[in-house]
Amino acid sequence: MSAVDKLELRLRALRATGRKGIAPYLTAGDGGSDVTLAVLRELADQDVPCVELGLPFSDPIADGPLLQAANDRALAAGTTFEEVLEILSRFRRGGRGELGRDLPVIVMSYSNPLVRRGWGNAVRALARAGADGLLVADLPIEEAGAMSSAARMAGIAPIFFVAPTTSEQRMTTAIQMSRGFVYAIGRLGVTGARTELDDAAQAFLARVRQVAGGLPVGVGFGISNASEVGAALKHADLAIVGSAFVEHVHQAVSQAAPPRRLDAARVAAREFLQVLSGGLPA
Amino acid sequence: MTTTLDTTRFGAFGGTFAPETLMAPLFELEREWKRWTADADFRAELASLLQHFAGRPTALTHARRLSRELGLELWLKREDLLHTGAHKLNNTLGQCLLAQRMGKSRVVAETGAGQHGVATATACALLGLDCVVYMGAVDAARQRMNLLRMELLGARVRVVEHGQRTLKDAINEAMRAWVGDPTETHYALGSALGPHPFPSIVAGFQQVIGEEARKDFLARTGRLPDAVVACVGGGSNAIGIFRAFVPDASVALVGVEAGGEGVGKGQQHAARFAGGEPGVLHGCYTYLLQDDDGQIRPTHSISAGLDYPAVGPEHAMLHDEKRARYSWATDAEALRGFEALAKGEGILCALESAHAVGWVLREREALSGQHVLVNLSGRGDKDLETIASLRGPEREGA
Ligand SMILES: Cc1ncc(COP(=O)(O)O)c(C=O)c1O
Repeated sequence: MSAVDKLELRLRALRATGRKGIAPYLTAGDGGSDVTLAVLRELADQDVPCVELGLPFSDPIADGPLLQAANDRALAAGTTFEEVLEILSRFRRGGRGELGRDLPVIVMSYSNPLVRRGWGNAVRALARAGADGLLVADLPIEEAGAMSSAARMAGIAPIFFVAPTTSEQRMTTAIQMSRGFVYAIGRLGVTGARTELDDAAQAFLARVRQVAGGLPVGVGFGISNASEVGAALKHADLAIVGSAFVEHVHQAVSQAAPPRRLDAARVAAREFLQVLSGGLPA
Repeated sequence: MTTTLDTTRFGAFGGTFAPETLMAPLFELEREWKRWTADADFRAELASLLQHFAGRPTALTHARRLSRELGLELWLKREDLLHTGAHKLNNTLGQCLLAQRMGKSRVVAETGAGQHGVATATACALLGLDCVVYMGAVDAARQRMNLLRMELLGARVRVVEHGQRTLKDAINEAMRAWVGDPTETHYALGSALGPHPFPSIVAGFQQVIGEEARKDFLARTGRLPDAVVACVGGGSNAIGIFRAFVPDASVALVGVEAGGEGVGKGQQHAARFAGGEPGVLHGCYTYLLQDDDGQIRPTHSISAGLDYPAVGPEHAMLHDEKRARYSWATDAEALRGFEALAKGEGILCALESAHAVGWVLREREALSGQHVLVNLSGRGDKDLETIASLRGPEREGA
């Protein structure tokens, strides 16, 4: 079974049973590779539907201050592309009887670290290391030809964004080009800024839901608590929680004594997920 | 694939590598820019502002003493004489007038040297628009007077405290601000870079420099220059003067980047063509200073306006087509250029522009007997503190 099939099956199954889920985002290498790996393993144990793993970049223009800081910390810790591949393959190899093999991982990147290697090479390497999907923050559909075909050839899911300002026609195309799910940006602005999903946002999500047909819809940007998870999942299948999740884990890790960092990361991830789960529909 | 955006590239370079939330504002901007720049009233109003407010046409000066000393004919296109002291106002008058026609109430901008920030604040004050300028903390410190000028003109200056704290980080922040409020806000990008349509918009508003210079040069000398030389930060003053001469095959076009400490291994600079490779930054595919992992490399230049890791995509094309050549001048060579023009011609030029002069000094033998036209993109008032600090404390107050 290819990674695309695995991702789609899992998310479509979620959708078919009427269940909805929380998809956390974390920046690879924030706190060091071992912290990232510990959090991934915890999320696998918690059976989240999928996770987004950010490849750190020096100039993340779509991100707010919390994720900028996470990118900076990861780069300062020496996280390279190779290191992210290594995290992924260690996670896939599992270890200590963990469930790591099955959790779909969507790699989220900016264009340049992938362009640097060439789309084909970069996407193949990510697929080989165990990524199931790819999301590129500064790659609109107009520029995505090379990425899309590289993803198709490597058997991982290209995922595109739609925003409240996306025209009907482009939304249709973005959905046609996406596999696994389509990423709806709940509101304008960068990641992390907090606003309630108002009526206009809900109308937008309803529109995405309709155009997407059977393709699952994920919503992200600014979701940070249980009530926002609830609002996001009114029309969508996945609530993607980035800045708030990253910050929560970061605070726990940076306050823990060095030998307790990995445990602190796992506990923080588990507890925050539990809090957010309060927003899941019964 | 369906595309509604004509993703205008310059050869292989340019494009629209922007977050989805910026796509609709970019489409709107492209549509409105095409509409208004074809509108007779808009064009007449811009032309009138350029003449009666900004002071166009700017002078073309024959640098008589330096020409004699160097054994060549040196001519200067005097953008330093434009209101606010640099070519940046050509672009901001155009973009702010466009923002006004588009019904925007607020303009955000980034600035490095502060010249684009001052020019944006000026155009906003003139046209009654709200203005917010993002400036890296390093630049805010070295261009203190420009920060004050912006504030006096009614702009709010937001000092950017993260990343390298220079122009690159100010652009990141300005783009984020635009994403947050694209309906009311226009982003006035200050150089010929970024996602389409910005490189074309900025070059379009700056090409008046070359149009005037070519006409005046022909009228004054009866011939075209052998070489046109300009400093290249993002590339707006250079593309502004180059465009008019691109069809003239006999005219060599030379872009001078910031050589910083030197362009050797381990030295810091901002010479993208000497040390960079193509990649994507700030929405466009172009030559970048980056590491093996695709992370953007820190840059250094004595001049804030050239201290940027990417170059405008039209220059990337002219480079690959070999229509223009790109060289560099170090901090020290720029300072020599500054001094030569000050003592030899009575002109205190911007440290950015001084790179072009410094290159001519270095290449004087190769240029011997030639007619060389340098675009003097700005004046040096903003750099006096930088120069004073280099001259050492013993000179201060002496
Ligand atoms: C006087 C002057 N010249 C040149 C530049 C570099 O910009 P560009 O390459 O867009 O002309 C600046 C930028 O701040 C400037 O102030």
